[in-house]
Amino acid sequence: MMAVLGFAAMLLLIALRAPIGLSMLLVGAVGYSQLSSGIAFFSYMKTNSYHQFANYTLSVIPLFILMGAIAEKAGIAGDLFRAAGRAFGNMRGGLAMAVIGACTAFGAICGSSVATTATFGRAALPELLKARYDGGLATGTIAVGGTLGILIPPSVILVVYAITTEQNIAKLFQAALIPGLMAALFYCIVIAIVVRRNPELAPIGEKVAYEKVPSPYWTRILSAIVAALAIYWFMQGRIDSVLLIGLIALGVSISFIDATILPAIAIAIVVVGGIYGGIFTPTEGAAVGAITMLAVALLGGKLSLKDVFEALRQTAETSGMIFIILLGAEVFGAFLSLSRLPTTAADLIGNSGLSPYVVIIGMMAFYILLGAVMDELAMILITLPVFFPVVQALDFGMSPDDVAIWFGILVLIVVGIGLTAPPIGLNVFVISAIAKGVPISATYRGVLPFIIADVIRLGLILVFPALSLWLVRVLS
Amino acid sequence: MSETPLPVEAGGQQVRDTTALEALTGKLAILGGFLALAVAILVTTSVLFRWLFNAPIDGDFEFVKIATAIAIFAYLPYTQARRGNIIVDTFTSGFSDRMRAILDAFWDVVYALAAAFCAVALYTGTMEAMRSGETTMQRQLLIWPSIGVSALLCGILVLTAFLSARALFSASSKG
Repeated sequence: MMAVLGFAAMLLLIALRAPIGLSMLLVGAVGYSQLSSGIAFFSYMKTNSYHQFANYTLSVIPLFILMGAIAEKAGIAGDLFRAAGRAFGNMRGGLAMAVIGACTAFGAICGSSVATTATFGRAALPELLKARYDGGLATGTIAVGGTLGILIPPSVILVVYAITTEQNIAKLFQAALIPGLMAALFYCIVIAIVVRRNPELAPIGEKVAYEKVPSPYWTRILSAIVAALAIYWFMQGRIDSVLLIGLIALGVSISFIDATILPAIAIAIVVVGGIYGGIFTPTEGAAVGAITMLAVALLGGKLSLKDVFEALRQTAETSGMIFIILLGAEVFGAFLSLSRLPTTAADLIGNSGLSPYVVIIGMMAFYILLGAVMDELAMILITLPVFFPVVQALDFGMSPDDVAIWFGILVLIVVGIGLTAPPIGLNVFVISAIAKGVPISATYRGVLPFIIADVIRLGLILVFPALSLWLVRVLS
Repeated sequence: MSETPLPVEAGGQQVRDTTALEALTGKLAILGGFLALAVAILVTTSVLFRWLFNAPIDGDFEFVKIATAIAIFAYLPYTQARRGNIIVDTFTSGFSDRMRAILDAFWDVVYALAAAFCAVALYTGTMEAMRSGETTMQRQLLIWPSIGVSALLCGILVLTAFLSARALFSASSKG
């Protein structure tokens, strides 16, 4: 009862423009003091806020944000987009597909969808408009492309999910890869269908600007080194045949990759691959990624000291925003567990005789509705303390750990939908602020076909959990 | 993420207050940023040493934890000064600008009070940790100094939130 009142009070505060983290903190504080005592709450807070922030797992968040901010300032997004443009630019709708391709690669070094959207809004939008692409198609593509920032690991949202539900970050990152690549593929298919039905949306550009650049000789030497190392490690028994094939494929593809984007791709592969392979923890991966990115950008003369400061400030603002919500969610969660609502809800739904799939579809529908009017990060932090125990209590014929990972990926997809769907799609707001000439209604119209593709993808992963879990099994 | 720019029409003293505030909190944010960079360098070195010499930096994760906590506390005033905390304005979009500014100022005051509570709680926590001489597990680092710094930074957050509330209040009374 207390908890239900708490939820109502919190939503009221949020509706009255109270910052979301503060709302959770206030309601959690009052509820905690009521169920226990004011003194107990004070002593809980004595070191709690410190220990909440002094958390090794959470340290991955500012580090990933820092890596993304440096990549953004170093103009990596523009390089990726031009490289993808050279590959697809001469097809109809090819530049829009190039945005998706570049966002996919950028998503592997950036864990935030808003940052990805803003970056590509500046790096790619002018080029699309210059090529006379329809405004709505251009902004819509960038808004959904931005969600690849979280759909492709690393992903801040997945880190938050992993910490809240005490799951393994590396496994969640593994599980997100195939659904993330599916998203990129589906978006390209959507673009192909849209421009086929309406060719004037995307004129075919002049070929000159997107001519292939010949790859320099050193990329071929590099690819030979990678392949040779792979064979050497295999013969020493340090890697298995799956990794051998992967590394050789990587070596071969290096010689085809545009030399301008090779450092970015290499960093992405080292970070994500290192975390997948258990070579380092996510925090270590983020640290190595941020430092390598910084070193490469500084050595390449792509980053001024001013840019570095700007990246640090950007990291500060975004991290501060996230951690206040995390602190609020921690206190609110402590109140909820005192109230026993999560266990009661799990029992209630577990004994209700509802099919587990009906429950989970209901939750997804609820998330899509709530995500339409609320911030996605806050949405999952508010709901997970109740939803997660409920999901864990349901029987899907999988182990609880598998269900936890699969559910995390489903949540990630609905978060992506929430970021682009009207009336409150954060990515749409971000791109609209950059694209002054394109009305927001045009952007929403542009986004719509992509959302349909997202819902189809959500359904596929709901029906075939293996799409997310297969890679986890192969890699473990 | 959602950013409401500070009302510039406030004019005079208030604008100077808020820009000075942004500059000061901005410096703190940069300091916190360097701390995060230091963490990244430390961890990278540790990974490199582990890989090359099989000798990682002992207990590096304890430095990571301490530095992250302090960095985050250093970020919070900047996020507040930039009005970077997420709010939902779906339900109040019909309100007048003045009404919204007053609501925002009110929540700034509440935020300041909540931060003051945290600062006092952290200060008490610092004193207790000092008395008990609590240390981290591996490197035996005393933990009270870092909680103390957090309490101090939390105090700066209180100040920031009060000042940003004042700026909004006077902006709304003039507008």
